[in-house]
Amino acid sequence: MELNASLSLVRPEIILSFSALALLLLAAWKDQAGRLISILAVAALGAAAAFTASALGSGASAPAFDGLMVNDAFGNFSKLLIYIAAAVSLTIAPRFLEKAGAMRAEYPVLIVLSCIGMGIMVSATDLISLYIGLELQSLSAYVLASFVRSDGRSAEAGLKYFVLGGLASGMLLFGASLVYGFAGSTSFAAIGLAMDKEVGLGLIFGIVFILSGLAFKISAAPFHMWTPDVYEGAPTPVTAFFASAPKVAAIALLMRVVLEAFGSQVLVWQQIIIAVALMSIIIGAVGAIGQQNLKRLMAYSSINNVGFILIGLATGTEQGIAAMLVYLTIYVAMTLGGFVCLMQLKDKDGNYREEFADIAGLSKTRPALAAAFAIFMFSLAGIPPLFGFWGKLVVFNAAVAAGLLPLAVIGIAASVIGAFYYLKVVKVMYFDDAADVIADSDDKVLVWTGGILAAANSPLGYFAIPVLGVWTAVAAKALF
Amino acid sequence: MTDLSQYLPILLFLVVALALSSAFVFLPMGVSRLTGTYKPTEAKLAEYECGFPAFEDSRSQFDVRFYLVAILFIIFDLEAAFLFPWAVSLGETGWIGWGTMMLFLFELVIGFIYAWKVGALEWE
Repeated sequence: MELNASLSLVRPEIILSFSALALLLLAAWKDQAGRLISILAVAALGAAAAFTASALGSGASAPAFDGLMVNDAFGNFSKLLIYIAAAVSLTIAPRFLEKAGAMRAEYPVLIVLSCIGMGIMVSATDLISLYIGLELQSLSAYVLASFVRSDGRSAEAGLKYFVLGGLASGMLLFGASLVYGFAGSTSFAAIGLAMDKEVGLGLIFGIVFILSGLAFKISAAPFHMWTPDVYEGAPTPVTAFFASAPKVAAIALLMRVVLEAFGSQVLVWQQIIIAVALMSIIIGAVGAIGQQNLKRLMAYSSINNVGFILIGLATGTEQGIAAMLVYLTIYVAMTLGGFVCLMQLKDKDGNYREEFADIAGLSKTRPALAAAFAIFMFSLAGIPPLFGFWGKLVVFNAAVAAGLLPLAVIGIAASVIGAFYYLKVVKVMYFDDAADVIADSDDKVLVWTGGILAAANSPLGYFAIPVLGVWTAVAAKALF
Repeated sequence: MTDLSQYLPILLFLVVALALSSAFVFLPMGVSRLTGTYKPTEAKLAEYECGFPAFEDSRSQFDVRFYLVAILFIIFDLEAAFLFPWAVSLGETGWIGWGTMMLFLFELVIGFIYAWKVGALEWE
């Protein structure tokens, strides 16, 4: 029976859906059991990840629900990354939220719901299922951004994210309606067929609106303006989540739309992607220079990294897509590590600090934390022995192989500008007079998570390259 | 040229709807003038808007609980909106369609239980 076959293909989403419903009821009766529900949510994510990994291992590709979704290696690889990133953001959160008086049982439930949406996003092969996944993810994210209700900045972040996110969804829907009107179908495959012959002005408008809406979701310039404010205002564990899992999902979604629906007319979207990539790289690099707040700095860093990832998409080749997936994986490890370090910056009264002045001379008082932070910064800057370098290398390699030499050259030049502020963090930690405001961390979870992520970003990460290379190649093949 | 005659039923519907709604508005007005119950007061002439004065500074405070009720209303109102297309296509979708809608309603019921339990439905 066809329905049963479809249902068996979306097993991870079904597991997560039922866990979310059960945890919601548990949350209603036991509001104080936030930690227990977090653990159960991580277990549910683990179960979903196990099914996804086994499906990825088998490498099969099968459409589900009459072509609304597909279960292929590309979707499974992205889902695996998303579930891991979400589990990390759940693990590091309880201490922080308890301090803010906001460790409510709804936090893990919202993260799980958001993961269901992201799972639908990365496996959508139809404009309708794309939109459903995107909205499920976004609605949970709006609530998460304003999760610390008593904090004015958090409420502001939530409101800003909601208003601008609603605008972006509107643009995406308008573009989707134009594409449907001119191509005659919402299915990616049918749109691809309709675009084979000729592309009219209406269709181009539709594509431009869809790309604008998605560029907003991945916080690529010129639709990045919400990112620094939301990243600064949202509680730090939520910011870590925003910077990792939803970004993977939205970028994977963008790859699938661009290649499966618009793939036959590369010239139509290639210019847009190149422009967006270059603007993101330059704005991310230049905008971060004047920042005093470390969370804002990480926001600009994520804009910058999205630009590098989009270079892979601009190539439109299988090698470019595989390179993007490698970069995405490394980016998730780098950015989660950066935020885990940020969360350990507590003063003696237990308040969280996030300014440049607070980390001055950190190497003298907290050498291990400073070393971990330095590893993440060097890795984000792409300094050779660290893992972040590998991501940049494969992306630029793909760009050169596809004949986009000028793009690669500008990207490398801009990454030198970006290196300035990453190195500034290291310089302030190691060479400035000790401000001595940061107390010893008492949170073992954070110390361990930070340690593991630092090891992954250190040259030890290169041991993962054979596995990563094979998986990303298989995943990229699924799109062509 | 499209054959417009197939749209005759909807044209008739619109005409009847316009005539009926006009009757509902103008008939009471005419009857009240003729029977002598026409006594306008300030409160009667004011626009009706959800119990608030219609014209005042838009920055005035009002109870945030109205928002909560409105949000819950929208969520459970959508449920009804989904039921209409589901009901007319039930012949096509069969038992699978029925099961899917029951699953959807089950999820809504869980949301309802949650809202009830956390006290979103209590005014005080």
